[in-house]
Amino acid sequence: MAKTKKDGAAHIKRKKDTLTAYAFISPWIIGFVCFTLFPIFFMLRVSLTNRKLNGVSEFIGLKNYVNMFKSEAFWNSIRVTLFFTVIMVVVTTIWAVIMALLLNQRQRLNGIFQFCYFLPSVIPSVALAYAFRTIFGKEAGLFNALLSVFAGKSVAINWLYDHSTVYMVVFFITLFTYNTGQMMMIFRSGLSDVPRELYEACDLDGASAARKFFNVTIPIISPLVLFNAVNGCVSALNGSFALLYPLTGESGNPDGMTQVLSLLIYKEAFSNMKVGYSCALSVVLFIIAAVFGAVLFGLSQKLVYYEN
Amino acid sequence: MKSAKIKRRIKQFWLYVIKIIVAMIMFLPIIWISTGGFKTLAEFTSSSSIFPLNFTTENFTYIFRSSNILLYIKNTLLLMLGTTVGTLLSSSLVAYPLARMEFKGKNLIFTVIIATMMIPNIALIIPQYIMFGKIGWLDSLLPMIVPSFFAYPYNVFLFRQYFRSIPRELDESAMIDGCSRLQIFFKVLVPLSKPTYATIAVLSCVFWWNELTQPVFYINSDKWRTLTIALMTSYMYTSGNSFVINWPSIMAAATLMILPPMFLYFFGNKFLVGGIKTTGLKG
Repeated sequence: MAKTKKDGAAHIKRKKDTLTAYAFISPWIIGFVCFTLFPIFFMLRVSLTNRKLNGVSEFIGLKNYVNMFKSEAFWNSIRVTLFFTVIMVVVTTIWAVIMALLLNQRQRLNGIFQFCYFLPSVIPSVALAYAFRTIFGKEAGLFNALLSVFAGKSVAINWLYDHSTVYMVVFFITLFTYNTGQMMMIFRSGLSDVPRELYEACDLDGASAARKFFNVTIPIISPLVLFNAVNGCVSALNGSFALLYPLTGESGNPDGMTQVLSLLIYKEAFSNMKVGYSCALSVVLFIIAAVFGAVLFGLSQKLVYYEN
Repeated sequence: MKSAKIKRRIKQFWLYVIKIIVAMIMFLPIIWISTGGFKTLAEFTSSSSIFPLNFTTENFTYIFRSSNILLYIKNTLLLMLGTTVGTLLSSSLVAYPLARMEFKGKNLIFTVIIATMMIPNIALIIPQYIMFGKIGWLDSLLPMIVPSFFAYPYNVFLFRQYFRSIPRELDESAMIDGCSRLQIFFKVLVPLSKPTYATIAVLSCVFWWNELTQPVFYINSDKWRTLTIALMTSYMYTSGNSFVINWPSIMAAATLMILPPMFLYFFGNKFLVGGIKTTGLKG
């Protein structure tokens, strides 16, 4: 008798707890419904109209999608987006690992070096983009001047407008973004968790630096590399706009070579005023992100500890 | 024995050389920006010297004279503080039951929060733009500040991780003393979580000070312009038949603009770095 009474009380308490919990969570639920769930459905609906920037709109069925799949600019931006995302992740991951490995060598002044390596990550992407637009400028650009000294003759390459050099420059600039700094810090703390004894044991066996790297370091940081790589894909989709818009413009100079999907979305909505079409493009971007996200989610379930 | 020591010294020396070269590369944009602000326009477009040949402070007076930069600073500060206060308050409240309480649907909610972390904001920005237009929020800071009061998944996650590391016994003894959940939150967890609040505050301030994408979409008048948009658009003009980009003024404005996040990083280094490491390692 006493027992059931106690159970009943516990039951009531648990019910009250659930209510309290949802009261705490309610801001997120409201925000999720208003700023995520609703926009997703709204986006799908608007993508079926020819809505203009001034709000005039008419239902046109799947016409936006048909036009999109026939558009060269769309396929170009898909190629650029995938290419940009994948190469950017590869380049920035390698650079982040290099910086983390350097900082992992126990030496004096490491704190200062770490500070320097992360510093470009906290400056705004517009400032970064404009600095590099002039560093890689044709006239009075620092890079051309440096090359001229080494080549012994005057070099005048318009790095950001030349088809053969633009990608090189853009990927070089991604080394300075927040994403790279963030990865470096994550690798750094991953590497500092590697037991020193493992390296010392290798030293006793007379292993070379390369063997130590491939047999000890790589296996230990590989889950981090994988996690960072896929995480980097999601942030590349999101962050490329803030870097490329001030760097190469909404048309993705030269000749759309750097026009990622987010730039095309902006251009269609605000320069061509085709908001309906822009929503159809957004649906595609959403699907690409969902695929990357699903992969990341699957990986993180396996590799990363959500539960302590 | 002695040769081994020399060998190690040489290795150390080369490591320093490589580290310094990498540091110089990473410093390049900052040096270029901060020296560029002290060059004249003629010099900037004709000479590639890093250090100004004709040192001038004209650009700094120019940016204050030619544009409403004080207004842009005010707008940016408002945006930064509004969003940061919003996310600190809402994200920590939402994180509390996820870290501490047992209730129906907890796993589902947590899964959805993690899943929304993967949606790039830019994919939903056009429908959000139309939506905010319908309720008359365009061309103001509201489309950015209001959502921050409804919790950012990323920050919820950070708070949850930290709350879980605080001993549960503290909550339980407070409960025995008759505290409600809300009282426990404010009297036990918040005071113990100051470092996490500081971490998220620093991350959020740096993010919003530097944010370009959302202001570009939502703001079009001078009245609500932020520093990032001003930096991108305010120092270009047509003079006669030619389009002039006043690079030294851009660099001067950029110099002023990178100072606050650099100071924040300098003094909040511990919080910023700690926060980044938590996000990466534990999810």
